[in-house]
Amino acid sequence: MKICKIIKPLVSTNRIPGFEHKHLQVVQDGSSMAVAVDAVGASPGDWVICVGSSAAREAAGNKDYPSDLTIVGIIDDWDPEH
Amino acid sequence: MEISQVVGTLYCTRRVAGLEHCPLRLLQDSKGKLVVATDPVGARGGNWVFTVSGSAGRLAMGDKRILTDLTIGGIIDHWDGGATAPTAPEAASPKTDTA
Repeated sequence: MKICKIIKPLVSTNRIPGFEHKHLQVVQDGSSMAVAVDAVGASPGDWVICVGSSAAREAAGNKDYPSDLTIVGIIDDWDPEH
Repeated sequence: MEISQVVGTLYCTRRVAGLEHCPLRLLQDSKGKLVVATDPVGARGGNWVFTVSGSAGRLAMGDKRILTDLTIGGIIDHWDGGATAPTAPEAASPKTDTA
């Protein structure tokens, strides 16, 4: 699992129905940016834990949920230069 | 899920049956590499989209039988090319005082 920082929400009105109504967040993993399904309700600036592969689908709702990266936890406090 | 920009449509008449009649789009990802993705939402050239990769890409097409490993998940409403990582709206969130 990766530690990422929430940049901002990703708004995509025209998207596949499989995502239902879940929020999407733009997250920064080191230097590259990615998009993750928000299963815990994080806000911009939070440091979170993201999970990938098949676990991302179950974390986002059900086994057929089309996600390959899901936020599964908000870290209480994290020092970026750790 | 990655963010990339649609370059255009890829026409591929001779294909395996598993791709059925899915429209194929040519995308340029954040590192500039050209990749091909199936498109269930009808994106056009120049649109910024986010893609779903791996076996979740097959689910994103709504039909597990389609042989794809990268699918367009949706068209992003507003995206500034992502060159500069936008700072959080408020100056510095109280919890994390990033240097």
